[in-house]
Amino acid sequence: MAYITLDGVSKQYGSVWAVDRVDMAIDKHEFVSLLGPSGSGKTTLLRIIAGLETPTQGRVLIDGEDVTHLPPHRRGVAMVFQEFLLFPHRTVYENLAFPLRMLKLQKGEIAERVDWVLGILALRGLEKRYPNQLSGGQQQRVALGRGLVGRPKVLLLDEPLANLDRELRQEMEVEIRRHQTALGIPFIYVTHNQEEALSMSDRIAVVRGGRVEDFASRTDIYDRPKTAFIAQFVGRSNRFEGVAAQASDRLAIRGEGVLIETAARPGIGEGDNVVAYVKNEKVRLKLAEPGAAAGANTIAARIRHVILRGAYAEYVLSWSGGELIASRPRDGAELPGGAEVTAYWDAADVDLFAQAGGDQ
Amino acid sequence: MRIRPAKTLLLGTVALCYLFLYLPIIHIALASFARNYTFPYPPKWTLTIMGRLFSNSLYQAALGNSIIIGLCAAALSTLLAGLATIGLLRHAGRRAPLYLALFVAPLFVSEVLLGISSLIFNGLFLGLPGNLGSAILANAVHCFSYALLIIATQLYRYDWRLDDAAMVFGASPMRTFFEVTLPLVWPGLFGAFIVTFIMSFNNLEISFYLLGATPTLPSAAWGALRYGVKPELYALATCVNLVVFFLLAVMFVLMLTGTVTFGHRPERERSAV
Repeated sequence: MAYITLDGVSKQYGSVWAVDRVDMAIDKHEFVSLLGPSGSGKTTLLRIIAGLETPTQGRVLIDGEDVTHLPPHRRGVAMVFQEFLLFPHRTVYENLAFPLRMLKLQKGEIAERVDWVLGILALRGLEKRYPNQLSGGQQQRVALGRGLVGRPKVLLLDEPLANLDRELRQEMEVEIRRHQTALGIPFIYVTHNQEEALSMSDRIAVVRGGRVEDFASRTDIYDRPKTAFIAQFVGRSNRFEGVAAQASDRLAIRGEGVLIETAARPGIGEGDNVVAYVKNEKVRLKLAEPGAAAGANTIAARIRHVILRGAYAEYVLSWSGGELIASRPRDGAELPGGAEVTAYWDAADVDLFAQAGGDQ
Repeated sequence: MRIRPAKTLLLGTVALCYLFLYLPIIHIALASFARNYTFPYPPKWTLTIMGRLFSNSLYQAALGNSIIIGLCAAALSTLLAGLATIGLLRHAGRRAPLYLALFVAPLFVSEVLLGISSLIFNGLFLGLPGNLGSAILANAVHCFSYALLIIATQLYRYDWRLDDAAMVFGASPMRTFFEVTLPLVWPGLFGAFIVTFIMSFNNLEISFYLLGATPTLPSAAWGALRYGVKPELYALATCVNLVVFFLLAVMFVLMLTGTVTFGHRPERERSAV
């Protein structure tokens, strides 16, 4: 039995369905991300779980109880907001004590719990400060602490790291996941940042146009994208368009200046317009050998420039069909800019989708 | 030091503006403490005129009534305008401009007409006699529109998502209002209260028609004119001005010391120290 269940949840604003028939089942110890571009409905979905919005249709169940029509303060949930939304007229201590006071706990127990949260979030010494006397990172920790201190049934996080700089964000990713594991409550994390979703989640729901395109483990989302949108949105990929042709048990896709071969897929047949994605890190490079015939899944290209990303490098290549990006670890065998190379990939690394009419 | 004509001109204009605003008030203030109140230059100080005002029982009763009208009309209009503003900002949606227009329309009705129409309506349909109560109600109509504008400018800057946060963390809507909303927006309500107090305290046109025989400071002053400009009027004007300036000074000091910041500004919360 799932701990949190969304059953056909929909939300209509005017004539627009911001959330459209979403079904999800989330377990008690899960870290789930709702990943999608802005305006995809992921925040609305989160606010429906919080009770800040009422769904037009469908039901929300938390811990077996139908909470669809319960107001937010009776749901036992907590939330961390993108803008932190700390109470500006209250000190850090008072902000952290707020959920506990609402639970009508004894003074002694409130002090104990606030102290516990101050400890795990390294906020000791800041109790008497007001939110506007804190740095962005400190405010973020207080916001997270306020979410954890009441031991909610579920913690909802709405892009909590979007206002932090990159370094701090990576630290907080590790920390958030650590607290989730320690507390054993489900976290539902809304983000448009695939790195955040991939680094923390057990499962990721990719949201687009109010619908959940796929809800699967993070490795499935990344390695086996179910739709063209997911292939495009998660990871960094090279995109090819072409027409499919059947060749025994394989498909041959003839695009402009490139021939892609991959295993046959159900639903894609002779003459279909298709779109193929190959992730940047799956594109391999070797120096071009003069006279070598161009085969399937290879492209003759020239290195235009190299972007260093620290642990790996991105090679921006130009070829007859435009631009291609290959990324590879910096293992010492670096290729020089301007070199003529052959880019190639395995047939198994091609993600192939039928091109929906005008959809992509 | 070199004289810069543009700056001198600017300063001169500012000085003229202030003189234009305050010269009559200063004249009356000087006169009310002077032995020769008709032409107090140079002034010779005395408290005789003030003494005459305070020994006049008509003015004492009038002062009491004016304070009652001021406090009650201010409390009523601030409360209603506060509720109306919350409704406008949170629940009115696309029709908000229409509701706003209807709320502030009384601003554009002449006060005399408002007074007369309230008198007629009260007499004809409600059977209300002219007394303090009906004067308070009629003043509240007028003050409501002013209060709404003052409160709306403050509440417009309030981040309503703070209410979301409070509710998610277990506060009922009522609790949310008293724990989070009110502590952050009270300066706007307080400002509206002071302004509407001063307005209804000083109001003649509306109160005049609805008071019956009850005197207020403005109506007593108006009535006293029949017997010429008596020295008590000088003293009265000075006292009223002192009260008004005192209230404005309180607001000014509160703003200066940061006790009153007029509304919650989210951008301040985000900035690191």
